[in-house]
Amino acid sequence: MRAWASRPGDREDRNTKIARRRLLTRAAVAGAGAAASGWLSGLASPQAGAAAQGAPRRGGTLTLVLAQDPPSLDPQKTPSGDASHFLLYNMLVSADRSSDAFLPELADSWAIGEGGKVITFKLHPGVKFHDGTPFTSHAVQATISRLVDPQTAAPGASWIGPIDHVETPDDVTARLVFKQPYAPIFSSLRIIFLAMLSPAAIAKLGPNYGQTPVGAGPFKFRQWIPGDRIVLDRYADYAWAPRFYKNRGAPYVDGAVVRIIPDESTRVIAFERGDLDILPQAPAQAVSRLIQTNKYQVFRTPTDGGYYLGLNVTKPIFSDVRVRQALGWAINRDEVVDYALEKLAVPMDSPLAPTIWGYSKGLKHAYHHDPDRARRLLAEAGWKPGANGVVQKDGRPLAFTAWTFPLETNVRIGVVLQNQLKQVGVQMNIEQIETATLLARTPSGQHDAILISYGWPDADILYYFFHSSRMATTNRVHFSNPQVDRLLDEGRVTVDPAKRLEVYRELQETLLEQAPWIPLASPYAVTFAQPWVRDLYVDKYGDLLTNDVYIQK
Amino acid sequence: MQRYAAQRLLQLAPVLVSVSVLVFLMVHLVPGDPVQVMLQDYGTPAQAAALRHTLGLDRPLAVQYGVFAWRALHGDFGRSIRSGRPVSGEIALRLPYTLQLTAASMVVAIALGLVLGMIAALQHRRLPDYAAMVAALAGISLPSFWFGLVLILIFSYYLRWLPAAGADTPGSLILPAVTLGTSAASIIARLSRSSLLEVLRQEFIRTARAKGMREWRVLYRHGLRNALIPVLSIIGLQVAGLLGGAVIVETVFGWPGLGRLAIDAIFNRDIPMIQGIVLVAATIFVAVNLAIDLLYALVDPRIRYS
Repeated sequence: MRAWASRPGDREDRNTKIARRRLLTRAAVAGAGAAASGWLSGLASPQAGAAAQGAPRRGGTLTLVLAQDPPSLDPQKTPSGDASHFLLYNMLVSADRSSDAFLPELADSWAIGEGGKVITFKLHPGVKFHDGTPFTSHAVQATISRLVDPQTAAPGASWIGPIDHVETPDDVTARLVFKQPYAPIFSSLRIIFLAMLSPAAIAKLGPNYGQTPVGAGPFKFRQWIPGDRIVLDRYADYAWAPRFYKNRGAPYVDGAVVRIIPDESTRVIAFERGDLDILPQAPAQAVSRLIQTNKYQVFRTPTDGGYYLGLNVTKPIFSDVRVRQALGWAINRDEVVDYALEKLAVPMDSPLAPTIWGYSKGLKHAYHHDPDRARRLLAEAGWKPGANGVVQKDGRPLAFTAWTFPLETNVRIGVVLQNQLKQVGVQMNIEQIETATLLARTPSGQHDAILISYGWPDADILYYFFHSSRMATTNRVHFSNPQVDRLLDEGRVTVDPAKRLEVYRELQETLLEQAPWIPLASPYAVTFAQPWVRDLYVDKYGDLLTNDVYIQK
Repeated sequence: MQRYAAQRLLQLAPVLVSVSVLVFLMVHLVPGDPVQVMLQDYGTPAQAAALRHTLGLDRPLAVQYGVFAWRALHGDFGRSIRSGRPVSGEIALRLPYTLQLTAASMVVAIALGLVLGMIAALQHRRLPDYAAMVAALAGISLPSFWFGLVLILIFSYYLRWLPAAGADTPGSLILPAVTLGTSAASIIARLSRSSLLEVLRQEFIRTARAKGMREWRVLYRHGLRNALIPVLSIIGLQVAGLLGGAVIVETVFGWPGLGRLAIDAIFNRDIPMIQGIVLVAATIFVAVNLAIDLLYALVDPRIRYS
């Protein structure tokens, strides 16, 4: 899922995503052809596909696809969620994407107390896990205790924030008590790491939870053939789908199959053969051809992240803020979108993509393409014209190497940047480097720059990228700034959304001015669906909403 | 013969020990930390420490190797860092797929290679010879990821005869096996051609013909059997190539074999998984080559192992 595109690598994210629960706002009801033409006419946020012709039909199987096996079907043992997880599990809340509000999922209501330190949830009564045991406040307690236990080694543990404990006054009341207020908590509560687990199954299965997973979601586990498919059955007792669905009960289809097909081209062919019902995150080079066939429903949606050029500010050439700013002005983001991303993206004028909670419009320090200003800044910083059109200072040319992942899109963006920077006398080299190596080498600051992408729905993600306490890990630009630290800390504890937005506005301004990152572009997700897949919705983050789906061949 | 086989099997021990030491050193020398990959840097230091301890990564390298080797001797390769499941279990799930694929592509390679090679040798310097050798050259040169996709396009997309990916029907095996077998077939074709040509020039062939033996009998009893010995040894070596090539072919065809498991393990620095897979692959390779050596004796009675 995209939620974990937030890790700097996106190797596993490609084509694997579909993920969180989300609310759909039905924008328009359109047939396959209409959806295809809507594709050309700007962005409709959440997109509705082929609509109901009469009553939904029961039966059939919904076939989805992933690029690789999830590491585990235990949501606390996976660094990223995907289609298989979200079909199996439910969370306490889901998100209303159109309004930044959160909606009930397994919790019916909640109240925030003690200045944000206590959140009391009233749980939906009558919910049963796939193993038949009831979902109660004890399940909330057991799930969260397990998540934060270091022995679990849950990659998602930090997203619960400074939780202290969970109280269970009665079966339908769960009280989350924090050591200090944690404003991003609702963004976290609806991601897969906070999927509710059955306490009985935790006790019985222990570390093997992911091999025979038990959730409270619309499908239950049947079989997993690693490398080939995950087979799920309709959970007949399911009756608590989020309220944005027409169908609040069990899915119309008898089951779901998640195929594992690593090769992009093979995935597209399997879809065109009709072996797959839905093709999420279609590869850019196949998109226009698939649209031209006019056979499929097309969903084009923004995503909650984007590409950026991160500059290691401890390197001598980047220690001068004017050089970093010059790079910001030298880059033409429209060209990045047009040439590197096949127009399947929007330019980013902030470190946050427009769909992320906390993004501010009209930032006064935003960069646009102004090569003259870039040249002036470089001259002010003492860089003079040198050999081969590269500016130099004290006999050293302004040259650097950006590390990126060996992915076609990343490299294409790199080549576009390379060319644009050359116009202002900066030489950028591109080095392709594999995920684990990049993760291992950036903390020690061996790199000049990184060209990668991230994704996360809440502005708090910036804490990981820029807070000085994250220096040895996710702060890969080695940026340290007291004001930025203060704003990041404040954004975490400011519970009032309006005030919190102000904090993040100031933060974005500061980050743009300081320019440790050059934001580039936020890509779209393009999802295709077969014409017989009815009532599928794709929300504004590209996540699939499947509980209304039925198959009509 | 048994004594020879037993000796060869004994030699397996040092091979496996050196392979395991090499792999162990390699996975620890390449940059990248399994704990970091698993927790993606967003974990807390306490978590990282706990995970490192659970995995035994906080102990000296020599101790880590010792623990690994001792467990491996008992058939226990530990648990995968990524999935948390026992490595032996995961390998047991995936190995049959790779063996199936390797065996099927070996059949394709031998059948296709020998036929092409024989045609070329018997029609030496005539059109079929040139055609066969051009085909063989193409077969070696075609990258399997491309050739595989072309096969998918033709047989799966246009003709719709065979599935594009997966392993759920018997037909699923055909395209991956052909893709994987083609380059091995080309090598076998070239080698069997030159080997057969060489043999057919020998005097005993002339003698056989001179005594009025039927041509197919000359070919089969005297020609082919003698020509096969070098071919057999190359077949043994090709098994290694097939196991390696399976990585790409399994990815293209979504075939759930060991090759893909290996790739994922390497990207995730899943140390126990990498070690387990490499040891299994090395064992297979040694075993296949032993089998080939024993086959020599069957094909050529002059070769005796005593």
